[in-house]
Amino acid sequence: MMHQHPRTASKVASSVPVLRIGAVGKQFGATKVLEKCSLDVDEGEIVTLLGPSGCGKTTLLRCIAGFLDADQGDVRIDGQDMGPIPVNRRPVGVVFQSYALFPHMTVARNVAYALKMQGIRGAEADRRVAGALATVSLQDFGDRYPSQLSGGQQQRVAIARVLVMEPRVLLLDEPFNALDAKLRSSMQVELRQLIKRLGLTAIFVTHDQEEALTMSDRIAIMRAGRIEQAAPPDEIFDYPATAYVADFIGTSNFWKASAAGGTVPLPDGQRRQTEHSGDVQIMARPHNLKLAEPEAGEWRGHVQFHRTIGALIEYHVETSDGVLLQVATMRQERAAPFDDGAAVSLHIIDPTYCAVYPAS
Amino acid sequence: MTDAAVPQQISGRGLGERLIDALLSGRGIWPAVPAIIVLMVVAVVPFVILLSLGFSNIVVSRGEIVSQTFSLAHLTNALTDPLYWTTFQRSLNLALTTTLLCLVFGYPVAYLFLVGGKWTKRAILILTIAPLLTSGIVRTYAWLVILGGRGVVNSTLMNLGLIDQPLRIMNTHWAVLIGMVQIHLPVMILPLIAVMSRHDSRLVEASANLGASRLATLRTIVLPLSVPGIGTGAALVFTLSYTTFVVPQLLGGGNYLNAATMIYEQVVFSLEWSKGSVSSLILMVTCLIVLVAIALVTNHFTRWTKGRDA
Repeated sequence: MMHQHPRTASKVASSVPVLRIGAVGKQFGATKVLEKCSLDVDEGEIVTLLGPSGCGKTTLLRCIAGFLDADQGDVRIDGQDMGPIPVNRRPVGVVFQSYALFPHMTVARNVAYALKMQGIRGAEADRRVAGALATVSLQDFGDRYPSQLSGGQQQRVAIARVLVMEPRVLLLDEPFNALDAKLRSSMQVELRQLIKRLGLTAIFVTHDQEEALTMSDRIAIMRAGRIEQAAPPDEIFDYPATAYVADFIGTSNFWKASAAGGTVPLPDGQRRQTEHSGDVQIMARPHNLKLAEPEAGEWRGHVQFHRTIGALIEYHVETSDGVLLQVATMRQERAAPFDDGAAVSLHIIDPTYCAVYPAS
Repeated sequence: MTDAAVPQQISGRGLGERLIDALLSGRGIWPAVPAIIVLMVVAVVPFVILLSLGFSNIVVSRGEIVSQTFSLAHLTNALTDPLYWTTFQRSLNLALTTTLLCLVFGYPVAYLFLVGGKWTKRAILILTIAPLLTSGIVRTYAWLVILGGRGVVNSTLMNLGLIDQPLRIMNTHWAVLIGMVQIHLPVMILPLIAVMSRHDSRLVEASANLGASRLATLRTIVLPLSVPGIGTGAALVFTLSYTTFVVPQLLGGGNYLNAATMIYEQVVFSLEWSKGSVSSLILMVTCLIVLVAIALVTNHFTRWTKGRDA
């Protein structure tokens, strides 16, 4: 099922991954929450677990942290099986969705907590706390209590608090959920830069695809306890491995077709190669379609409505056989847009960016 | 549909609606007025009358006060009477011991509530609240059956051959203490549970993630955060057990003298209302002193809540 792309193939070639999730399964009662989840994360890589709520992404994160024990499979960090390692001995730092800062401790004591638990006190502890606070630009906030800080500052304290113990893997559970939309996008960029600068290996959990696209080196799309595809953001977008992934990330158009002899006919007369045969569905992104005068092609339809989104025009087109499609074109491509109700012909710009899936 | 219709609707409200709106607006003390009136009539006025009795010489004839003159004699008599000192000391000891034991037995239950699963939480809540559905008098009588000479405890111990003769538990200090702890335990557990469930359960996970053992998490996170609950529970249990009448009267067998049973005897049996009034005053003042002490200690350990939203 996994779509192999040259870039992921080269990645597998490197040595022992920092984090290896091997066929992890987890059940709550009769409900299978995780099923054979496997994922390798390399040194310095940021991987996002992306999926709708209830897909198992948070459960997987909690298995890595040790808050939950996996029923099947194993979690390895630097090759070492984490199964027998209790939660407070794992080289893992968790940034919680709610931040979970200790409200009765100052920022400095929150950050010093992990050091205190390791028996590190005095000048060395002070130095490392100051260093961690400086990393997140909160050096002047050590004496404040968490409740005196803004949401963004609290998040940075939560990050400093785990950075101070120099974890091998950083786990972030929907860390931007509690922030307002404007702060969220700037914190996303800031946090990605910070993680990259420190060379940390990180796993993000989110249900927000924009956040995933911004933050990640690779995205693992999860669905009903399984990882559907794990690949870099552009590859996920351009070559979604399953119809589910295509539907989940970005806007996608689907229509039915019939494949035979290693190719499938496209409605505008082109053909695309495929390993499937029989009934299939074809997916094309809105920007891979374009409109022309009706006499320019054999795939006909009419514009239902269109709207201008900045530099783009988004057309909603109904084809002559009743399929609804979205087409996105740059505004400058035509002097005037097609009017609503106008007859048009549709064309696929690059058939290789059309995906072919078995009919569902 | 038109804009003009809206203000007309607002001004068209009836007087009753506006009154209810004013009451619910929360401005001023209006919502509390009914309660204040009731308290004035049934608590403050009788209390002032009671206090006035303690600071005056009264002559009672056929159950009615016929003369009343100001005097501090009752107060000075009480403060110099060793019986008062030993009685109040006994009350204080009993109440403080009860409070401490309730904390010792109640805290683990509240901790179990914090770390336990859904069914553990439900069971704890039901088992904690269920005794409160029965009257304290009924529960106290139950201890008569359990602790009596032929009660469950003694017959079990004798059947096991551990003792030859029934232990004398009833009508002793121990019976009173056992009853006090059992009766007041829920009052300690409930505020503890309330405080513990107010905090993010992720705090415990965060602490573990940062390298803390369970014991370290209990000591550095759970315990400090539950201080307000300990304070509330201690204040409630202390107040109730310091002023309790039923438990010492029933389980002490009528000869266990604490502040409340002493006041009862002064007022009901010897009809010395002035003495009873002074005893009540001493009871109230000493109770307030302890409550203030509990509040000060609690505040000391919850200084972190002060700087909030500053």
